[in-house]
Amino acid sequence: MADFLDVGLNLQSLGIGWGTIVMFVLMVGLLLTGMPLAFVTLLVALIFALGWFGPMSIPLITSRVYSFVMNFVFVSVPMFVLMAAILDRSGIARDLFDAMKLFAGRIRGGVAVQTVFVSVILAAMSGIIGGEIVLLGLIALPQMLRLGYDRSLAIGVVCAGGSLGTMIPPSIVLIIYGLTANVSIGELFTAAFIPGFMLAMFYVVYILARAYFTPHVVPPADPTPIPTAEKLRLLKGLALPILVVFIVLGSIYGGIASVTEASAIGVGGVVLSTILRGEFSFALLRDAAMQTLATVGMIVWIGIGATAIVGVYNLMGGVNFVSGLITGISDNPTVIILFMMLILFVLGAFLDWVGIALLTMPIFVPIIKSLGMDPVWFGVLFCMNMQVSFLSPPFGPAAFYLKSVAPPGITLGVIFKSLIPFIMLQMLGIAVLIAFPGITGR
Amino acid sequence: QEYSFRFQSSDPAGNPNFEYQKGWTDLVAERSGGKVKIELLPVGSVVEYNETLDAVAGGILDGQICDSSYWAGKDPAFGLISNPVGAWSDPAQMIDFVENGGGKEIMTELLGSYGLHFIGVSTPGLEAFVSRVPLDGVDDLKGVKVRSPEGPIANVFAAAGAAPVNLPASEVYTSIDKGVVDAADYSVFSVNQQQGLNKAAPHPVYPGFHSLPLVEVSMNKAKWDELPDDIKKMMEETVKEFQQTQIEGLKKADGAALEQAKADGSITVHDWSAEERAKFRKIAVAEWERVAKTSPMAQKVFDTLTAYLKEKGLL
Amino acid sequence: MSDHPRTREEIDLAATSEGIGAPVPESGLMGRIVDKAGYIFAAGIVVAALILLTEVFLRYVLNSPTIWAHETTVFLCGSAFVFGGLYCTCRDSHIRVVLIYDHLSPHARRIADIVISLVCALASGFFAYAAYHMVTRAVFTPSGEIRLETTGSAWSAPTPALIKIFIFITMVLLVLQFLILAFNYARSGQRD
Ligand code: NA
Ligand code: NA
Repeated sequence: MADFLDVGLNLQSLGIGWGTIVMFVLMVGLLLTGMPLAFVTLLVALIFALGWFGPMSIPLITSRVYSFVMNFVFVSVPMFVLMAAILDRSGIARDLFDAMKLFAGRIRGGVAVQTVFVSVILAAMSGIIGGEIVLLGLIALPQMLRLGYDRSLAIGVVCAGGSLGTMIPPSIVLIIYGLTANVSIGELFTAAFIPGFMLAMFYVVYILARAYFTPHVVPPADPTPIPTAEKLRLLKGLALPILVVFIVLGSIYGGIASVTEASAIGVGGVVLSTILRGEFSFALLRDAAMQTLATVGMIVWIGIGATAIVGVYNLMGGVNFVSGLITGISDNPTVIILFMMLILFVLGAFLDWVGIALLTMPIFVPIIKSLGMDPVWFGVLFCMNMQVSFLSPPFGPAAFYLKSVAPPGITLGVIFKSLIPFIMLQMLGIAVLIAFPGITGR
Repeated sequence: QEYSFRFQSSDPAGNPNFEYQKGWTDLVAERSGGKVKIELLPVGSVVEYNETLDAVAGGILDGQICDSSYWAGKDPAFGLISNPVGAWSDPAQMIDFVENGGGKEIMTELLGSYGLHFIGVSTPGLEAFVSRVPLDGVDDLKGVKVRSPEGPIANVFAAAGAAPVNLPASEVYTSIDKGVVDAADYSVFSVNQQQGLNKAAPHPVYPGFHSLPLVEVSMNKAKWDELPDDIKKMMEETVKEFQQTQIEGLKKADGAALEQAKADGSITVHDWSAEERAKFRKIAVAEWERVAKTSPMAQKVFDTLTAYLKEKGLL
Repeated sequence: MSDHPRTREEIDLAATSEGIGAPVPESGLMGRIVDKAGYIFAAGIVVAALILLTEVFLRYVLNSPTIWAHETTVFLCGSAFVFGGLYCTCRDSHIRVVLIYDHLSPHARRIADIVISLVCALASGFFAYAAYHMVTRAVFTPSGEIRLETTGSAWSAPTPALIKIFIFITMVLLVLQFLILAFNYARSGQRD
């Protein structure tokens, strides 16, 4: 088949070990040239498909592109982005944050803390993080900046908070883990809730500590009492957002809609809110939809590139490679677990979570079971590791999602720098989960 | 000469089906004295579950172990032969149809036209039905929202008065747990029990009345043709062994899970009477007839299948 | 922004500017056409939301779910996802790491732009070739007749074949767009 495409490059002679290293180096090198990220990952996948297997293997990349875009659960991404774009164009978001000041205005760092709580609520509404981070990035980030929050802190809160979407049930990460490890998804959801909430509390404590020890990062507390009439006016700003949240959560937990459908219900609720506020217009919907297209174009193509690399790497024998790394490392269960965490951390820097799950689950889960450890607990631990992978550079999806909607001045460098303390907190969460497995309630 | 192949399964790594399939690849290595190495990849590793046919045909993968109904979008005949809803009440019947009743010839012809060779058949067994509401017969299906996957099965449920809902496997748990759907076509009893579906929907029907999937082991035809005859024969024989191990193993697992479910006071296991199963099969046959008209190969499947069932007194 | 606080209007404008942005001038006429065509796909997303809402209503209230709602939704969003890649290419809004790029001289940046566009065009060319193979398998039966691959579900719509064809078309258009970009970057470089 098409010998003219055979570039005469034989990467297979590198072997999988060096192949892995060359792949990572190539990816980072190409990224630094300023080439669009989606095309960097696609190009690396292409080079390895061609060089390792020859031209007949390239259709695996287009096949993965096809499967990726036709995945029903990803329908929730444009829905969440559309919701955000409409909220952003109406006055709902601003009124919400003004009203939040009512409760948090007296506490230094209060609005950032509330943003964490808003993310926990959003996390209960969806299981995919792309849409949530865009939503927080469009709504909470500009509002926190407007109120005078430090840029780094605000960025970190949005990315780390938005990533909670897969830690708090429903969670697509836990669902895929459950299907792979053949354990109860219900038990995974139950076990993940407290660790997820604990992580959110780490973020809260961190914000409060920053507000106390580095006072310049948060706006000063406003001690002037707000007159009752003003309070009532501000409180009205809460009514519609709470209603939308209530409808979405109600439709999920009331058995009315599936998680993906509930995201469309959210769109319906937000449109209804703009109508009630008298802000709805055709232009508003059109502009919001156009922005949604532009945003999901960016987000989804990052996923497309990532999925292409995963397919090629698995065909190269990635699973056997990871399996070889871990066999015979130690007899000590703690050492094995820590080594697994290290592998997850390294992979998390370069791959998206689906790829990591495909590479490591077939190896890790049987080991965990044979060591007599609880696979449900490990599922939660895996999910916590994926929190880190969302934030860690150079491939940090949360940072990319935020970048897709952030003001131009906020570069990826700025975002990744802001995420460092939050990555530390996530690692602390992992450590706590390993030291005290009982947190999962098992 | 040594051979090394990459096969992709349509099951995830920790699933019992995958373990049995892996057992086949070990057996092949053992019987060939290490000359034939098959690396079995879990679902989605290289391409998605519903794209492996093209990947094997195109030489990206060497082979696949998967439910043939995933190819119903290519030719409805695949949907009919791999899941003639209601036709089978025991794995042995389906296996006998494929191996001795003309099924193998059809699978060989169907897959052959796409550039694949059909090596053999297996099945996880008769699936159990997941339900939140008590179901003791066809009439109870009226108005029940049933999650159903690809293939003609949704039409059969619709004809039986149920309301089929199209949901991907990843949304089944949350949807059944919260009651978005009342029932679901999912997997065998032991897997349903392990994944907590019977806990969320405490009225499972076991044995199921709806689905007994045909799982094909197939590989790239050109690569198969290059193999020496003794290896070909060995691969066919080992598939037969793997099939028996899988059916027996899962039956045993189903039995253990059934005990577990019965011991759990919150789960009520339902079993349909022979009359109710026959009633459901009758509805299904009408749908087989409709599918038969949609492609020449589907007609061939229909003719062969009904002839076999009549001969065995099953229709 | 903590060092020089901006007004609310400025921040809001900045936050939303990506959405109401425009194709880069170097994308040429094609960029402007793609930009207009984006309207159809954006509308598709809104329609998808409406379909899902209708489906929930039909299922929950009337107990009569459709067999087409989810497949149509996936198709509408899937086409928007694919087209979104081309749309962002015309706007040069795909995420890039500009750590080094931003420190280059204008001349070096032009050269980087040209090289990157050409490499992306080449890669897209390979994907167009691969997508062509995918399309032939989805459009023709082994005997050579035309039969669009369907989902194989109860509705069995030919959406798989349609999306595969659309991926092929988009890859071809990406080649074209990247070549136009490279050409225009080179031309404006000469003018400098
Ligand atoms: Na969630
Ligand atoms: Na990362």
